[in-house]
Amino acid sequence: MKDLSTMKALILVGGFGTRLRPLTLSFPKPLVDFANKPMILHQIEALKAIGVTEVVLAINYQPEVMLNFLKDFETKLGIKITCSQETEPLGTAGPLALARDKLADKSGEPFFVLNSDVISEYPLKEMIAFHKSHGGEASIMVTKINAGIYLLNPSVLDRIELKPTSIEKEIFPKIALAGQLFAMVLPGFWMDIGQPKDYISGLRLYLDSLRKKTPSKLASGAHIMGNVLVDENAKIGDGCLIGPDVAIGPGCVVESGVRLSRCTIMRGVRIKKHACISSSIIGWHSTVGQWARVENMTILGEDVHVCDEIYSNGGVVLPHKEIKASILKPEIVM
Amino acid sequence: MKNSEEKVVAVIMVGGPTKGTRFRPLSFNTPKPLFPLAGQPMVHHPISACKSIPNLAQIFLIGFHEEREFALYVSSISSELKIPVRYLKEDKPHGSAGGLYYFKDLIMEDNPSHIFLLNCDVCCSFPLPEMLVAHRRYGGMGTLLVIKVSAEAASEFGELVADPITNELLHYTEKPETFVSDLINCGVYIFTPEIFNVIEDIHTHYEDRANLHTLSSSEALWSATKTPAKDFVRLDQDILSPLAGKKQLYTYETMDFWEQIKTPAMSLKCSALYLAQFRHKSPNLLACGDGTKNPTVVGDVYIHPSAKVHTTAKIGPNVSISANVRVAAGVRLMSCIILDDAEIQENAFVMYAIVGWKSSLGKWSRVQGEGDYKTKLGITILGEAVTVEDEVVVVNSIVLPNKILNISVQEEIIL
Repeated sequence: MKDLSTMKALILVGGFGTRLRPLTLSFPKPLVDFANKPMILHQIEALKAIGVTEVVLAINYQPEVMLNFLKDFETKLGIKITCSQETEPLGTAGPLALARDKLADKSGEPFFVLNSDVISEYPLKEMIAFHKSHGGEASIMVTKINAGIYLLNPSVLDRIELKPTSIEKEIFPKIALAGQLFAMVLPGFWMDIGQPKDYISGLRLYLDSLRKKTPSKLASGAHIMGNVLVDENAKIGDGCLIGPDVAIGPGCVVESGVRLSRCTIMRGVRIKKHACISSSIIGWHSTVGQWARVENMTILGEDVHVCDEIYSNGGVVLPHKEIKASILKPEIVM
Repeated sequence: MKNSEEKVVAVIMVGGPTKGTRFRPLSFNTPKPLFPLAGQPMVHHPISACKSIPNLAQIFLIGFHEEREFALYVSSISSELKIPVRYLKEDKPHGSAGGLYYFKDLIMEDNPSHIFLLNCDVCCSFPLPEMLVAHRRYGGMGTLLVIKVSAEAASEFGELVADPITNELLHYTEKPETFVSDLINCGVYIFTPEIFNVIEDIHTHYEDRANLHTLSSSEALWSATKTPAKDFVRLDQDILSPLAGKKQLYTYETMDFWEQIKTPAMSLKCSALYLAQFRHKSPNLLACGDGTKNPTVVGDVYIHPSAKVHTTAKIGPNVSISANVRVAAGVRLMSCIILDDAEIQENAFVMYAIVGWKSSLGKWSRVQGEGDYKTKLGITILGEAVTVEDEVVVVNSIVLPNKILNISVQEEIIL
C-alpha cells in the first residue's frame, strides 16, 4: 500500500455541460447529482478508496462555484482537491500539460485520468495491477470503445504540448506505435451520463451494481419495487409504489398514493398526492402537483412547479417556471 | 397656477430577475432593462425622453435586480444628463404601486409637484412634456397615457373607457375577458403626490380584511404563500380601477407608436421603431454609407463607433450593431441586432435575428427568422458565445449560450 500513498489523479471536467441542460443552468455539470450524490463525488470517492491523495480537476467554467463545494469535500473526505483552470479549451490532452507540475512528482508514480461524465464501477485497483504487470507507459480501459479511464506514467506528459490537443487522436496513437499502450477491458457497467437519456439508463446500471455490492444501501419495503435509493432525509407517504430504478434525494417529500418509476427526484422536491412519474428527472426544489402525470424523458429544471392534474409528455422545462397547461408532446419550455 | 419653480421627478420601474422568463435566452446574460435597442440600453429611451421635462429634479429607477448590474450605467447617465439618476433596489417585489410607495420618502425628497411613473419595457415616443401640460389642465390626481389598438389586441392589455370630452377615465379593467374598448393603458403615468395617500389607504385596507383576491399567475409565483403581502400593491387593479369615474384620473391619447417589450422578438421590432425615431429626431446617430469609404447602408442603421464593418458589406434596413463587432467582406445584414464582440465572417447573411455577445458566424453562414414578432420561433436568437460554422443555415431557432452549430437547423430550440 506504500506505493499508492502518493498517487494523483486528474479529472477532465471541461466545459459548459450544455447537453445536460436545463439541469446545468443551475449547477456546473460535475455538481449535478447522480444517485443522490454530485457526479464528481462518485469519481473522487473511488479514487480516495484506492489511496489517491490528490485530485486535480481540469475545468474551464464556473471555478468559483466548484471551489466552494470542493472545500466541503476536501474536509469530509480527507483528500486534497485542486483546480486547474483552462483559459482556452485545451481538448482532452492539453489539460494534462497544464496540470503537469501537480501530476508528475518525484515518486514517478503513474496518475489516473478520468472523464467526469463517466459512471462505472471504477475497478481502479485492478487497473493498477494491470499497469504494473505490462510495464508500459499507458493503460486505457475499453468497453467496445474507449471508456475514458486512463492510468499514465509521468513520461506521457513529455509528449503533450500546452495547446488544444486530443489525447485519443494525437497522443495515444504515438504511444501505441511505440508499443507502450495497453488496453484493459472494463469489467462491470459503464455509462456516459452527460445527457438526460443516458443519465436515466445510467441510474439503472448503477443501482443494479449497488444491489450486487452493497444491497443494504437500497430501500426495501412493501411500497418498494426493484432497485430504489432513498436518502435518509426524504419522506415517503402511504400507499405509494416506488421503483424500479428510482433515486430520491435529501429533503424530498413524496406524498401518499404516488407512483414513481425510472426517475430521479433531486433534493428538496415535493411530489403531491396521487401523482405518477416515470422516465424523468425532477430538478431541485421543484414540485409536481396532485394527479399530475410526468413521463417520457420529462426533465424539470430547478424550481419548476407542475400544477395539479397536468400531463407532461417529454417536457423539458427551464428553471423557475410554472406549468399550468399540459405538454402533450416533447417540447422545450423556456 | 403654474409655478415655474415646481420640481418634477420621474420614476421608471425596471422589474427584476425572478419575474419574466419570457426574455430568455437573452436574460441569461443581461437584465432586460439594459438590453440594447437601437444601440442604447432599453431603459435609456424613457430616461432620454425625461430630458425634455421642464424642471426635472431627479430620475429614479426602481426594481429588484442586483445593484451592481445598474451601477455603471446609472453613474454614466447621471454625468451625461447632469441630473441625478438613482437605482433603488426593492428587497422584494411590491407591485408597481407598492414599489412607488416603498420609496416614498426618497421620491418626495425635493417636494416635487408631479411624479412621472414609467414602465421600462414600454416602447413609445414618451410625449412627457405634452402629457404634463394636459395633466395640469385636467387638474386631477393622475393622468394615464393611452392609445387605440385593434379590438383583438386590446384584450391583452388594460382596457379603459374615457370620456371623449373631458378625457376623464371612466372605467378601467385589466385584461378583460369580454371586449370593453379599444383604448388601452400604455404604462406611462403622471401623478400628484396625493397618489401616496391612496396607496396608503390600500395598505390599511389589506391589513383589515381577509385575502380574497385572485392573483395573476406571475404574482402567485412571487408570493411564497400564494396570497398578496399587505405591502404588494398593484397599480391597475388596486388604484386605477377603484378610482375610475371619480373625477380623479384622466387620459392623454398618443397617436404615435406603442409596443410592450416582453420577448426578444419584440425587442427586435422595438429597436426598429426607435431607429425610425432617430431618423426623425436625431439622424446624426444613424449610419450612412455608399460602399466607397463606408459600407453600403440601407434604411435606418445604427453602428457603434468601435465596430469594424467592411466596405463591401451591405447593412440595413433596421440593423443595430453594438461595440467591437467585426463584420467581414460581403456580409448582408437586415433587420437584426448584432451584440457586442460578435464576429460575422465573409459573405454571411443575417435577417430577422439577434446575434448574441461574442458569437461567431462562419463564412457563407445564413442566420434568419421569418420576422413574426409574436410567435415563439418567429425570429432567430443566438445566445452568448454561439458559433455557427461555415455554410450552416439556422432558421427560426433559438440557441442557448455556448453552443456550436455545425449542421443546419430549422424551427428548433437548442439547449
